[in-house]
Amino acid sequence: MADVLVGFCAAVREGDLVTLESSTLAAPLVREVYRRVLRAGGQPLPRITVEGLTENVLKFGNDDQLDWVNPSRADDIESADVRIYLAAPANTRRLSNIDPARHARYDRSTEPLRNRYLQRAAAGELRWVLSAYPTEAAAQDASMSLAEYEDFVFGAAFLDDPDPIARWQEFGEQLDQVADFLTTKREFRIVAEGTDLRLVTEGRTWIPSKGQENFPDGEIFTGPVEDSVEGEILFTYPAVFNAREVEGVRLRFEAGEVVEATAKRGQDFLREMIAMDEGARRLGEFAFGMNRAITMFTRNTLFDEKMGGTMHLALGTSYPETGALNRSALHWDLVCDLRSGSEVYADGELVYRDGQFLNGTGE
Amino acid sequence: MRDLRYDALAELLLDHSVRLQAGDVLRIEGEAVAGTPLVVPLHREAIKRGAHCYTALDLNGLKEILVAEGSDEQLEFVSPIELRELDFIDASITIWSELNTRSFTRADPDRRQRQLNAQRQFSIRRRDLIASGKHRWCGTLSPTDGLAQDADMSLEDYEDFVFRACHVLDADPVEHWRQVGERLQARAEELGSVRELHVLGEDTDLSVVVEGRTWRAAYGRQNVPDGEVYTSPVETGVNGTIRFGFPAVFAGREIDDARLVLEDGRVVAAEAAGGQEYLRSLLDLDDGARGVGEIAFGLNYEIDRFTRNILFDEKIGGTMHMALGMGFGALGGQNRSALHLDLICDLRREGEVYADGQLVWQNGQFLHDPQPARSAEHVG
Repeated sequence: MADVLVGFCAAVREGDLVTLESSTLAAPLVREVYRRVLRAGGQPLPRITVEGLTENVLKFGNDDQLDWVNPSRADDIESADVRIYLAAPANTRRLSNIDPARHARYDRSTEPLRNRYLQRAAAGELRWVLSAYPTEAAAQDASMSLAEYEDFVFGAAFLDDPDPIARWQEFGEQLDQVADFLTTKREFRIVAEGTDLRLVTEGRTWIPSKGQENFPDGEIFTGPVEDSVEGEILFTYPAVFNAREVEGVRLRFEAGEVVEATAKRGQDFLREMIAMDEGARRLGEFAFGMNRAITMFTRNTLFDEKMGGTMHLALGTSYPETGALNRSALHWDLVCDLRSGSEVYADGELVYRDGQFLNGTGE
Repeated sequence: MRDLRYDALAELLLDHSVRLQAGDVLRIEGEAVAGTPLVVPLHREAIKRGAHCYTALDLNGLKEILVAEGSDEQLEFVSPIELRELDFIDASITIWSELNTRSFTRADPDRRQRQLNAQRQFSIRRRDLIASGKHRWCGTLSPTDGLAQDADMSLEDYEDFVFRACHVLDADPVEHWRQVGERLQARAEELGSVRELHVLGEDTDLSVVVEGRTWRAAYGRQNVPDGEVYTSPVETGVNGTIRFGFPAVFAGREIDDARLVLEDGRVVAAEAAGGQEYLRSLLDLDDGARGVGEIAFGLNYEIDRFTRNILFDEKIGGTMHMALGMGFGALGGQNRSALHLDLICDLRREGEVYADGQLVWQNGQFLHDPQPARSAEHVG
């Protein structure tokens, strides 16, 4: 995994300053990534966190402390050539009981850092990769044993392939083809159980996500024209945000804005998040999950949004490189299963049915 | 599970050592795996005090990989980001918590030294900031099996030992260390008027001129645990013989039962039951390595045994220690060297110390309480 992360995803080169962010639980992977960064001639800067520090700030901090931005984190984002982040949680629900308003305030304080790093990334000055190291907490969220979850993670990353990098390159070419095809389309209509949604992507760029910034990877995304979204969507899977789970989410859009939001569980939290700021009630992302090695929902967006045969929408901020304009402190991915009884029309033509593109691309 | 002793240590470090104020920026340094039991409560208590607090944590095993595999450039790399941190932090706490104290024993010593020199750039700059009053720093320890193993103890016994030495089990640890400060300040002031000390012990008969030098009290500000008074003696004024009953551990290597003969402040003969060649090589490191940089009395009586960790060993109640090499310029010391080798002499059984001919120390204790400090600002 370390070979692929350093050699393919982050493509570390001689002289690169590489921040390596993770927790103690990922120690075995951190050491191997560190070693490979050295071998590639980079300068690894470990940034190791321990469980409980964010909780301390969210529980005991005053407003001034919630708003504080650590200048050395800003310096990292300004100075690094590469940023490798390996998620390895010990407990994904540690922050479930934090007041959502305080949590949102804390998120807003780090928004300038996030914007700056996305800006440097879009300008090609900063390469980054987000990956995951299997832990018991993540396995528990996926309702698996740790051993089963490890197989799932390494399978999704094609590490069981004799030459994973070649496999990712080949997969990347397939994704390029799908992206090229989608770029020729102007307007989409998604029809599925509880869903009939129309949106326009004309003038926006479809980006194939091929393992450079997320690992594992496998999606094609864009940002819809902000005021074009009309209709209803029912999200099949629970959505997890800031350690809280919302289930059975149904959204109705008019002129790009959410005008009705209901959920079977967590409805108040859903509405609170949508009210966070102006951009939180608009879509920032429209995407198809294309990784067929991910077949089940695991309560981890990194994997869920790439599940082959699904699509996802994100409320909130968009990716500038798609040409989308929506900005928000929120970016909440919501995943909809399209593997049975669903159809996608592009400019009135049926292009996708039951989880597959019909013209043979992306397979 | 939450161990309230770590909470108490955290509070002592914040309220006594670095005197953290609301709005201060505190940096916590250490190793993430072994440091966690102290890092988390320290961070929490700092947040509760209204400070901004963040951690700069290493992971065990990474430096070993760097020393084994890094290029020259990688070994000698000094992070500019880290140096810039000193511009905005008000205080920092270093937590020593090695999981394996011998992980560099087989590493190339030259490569390890170059990596350490690069790492030291940060502490050198910080030392200047501390000296000019712009930064508050404290070094402390979080118990690990590795450290317990060096002390020939179980982890549980070692934790008890550490927390006793830090006096965090006292009803009011901050008050304890404030009083230690008062007492040791008075002792330091009293020693400041002494012209010459004469130390007698097992195979030890040494005279040390300290006239005109400033003695300093160490009472939990820059080290926890703490408890010593120290100065740099007059460079030409150390004469006689001394035997260091405790092993000295330096850069992961041991020197056992060292015996030195000094003339006019210079080591003229050196023997050791173990590591004699290593001791002699250290003495030849540079011109100042044969000179004396420090003389001190260890006065923490909760530290009653040798544990192969200088943070504790040099404070063992009833001992004195002498450092060969670098002296303290701020205390009047003029000896300069790349070496600062602490050697500990047990004065608990047979030891006697005379100050200008008068017996002041016997069997590991000063014979009378010092005069109270003349002014309160010394205690601060």
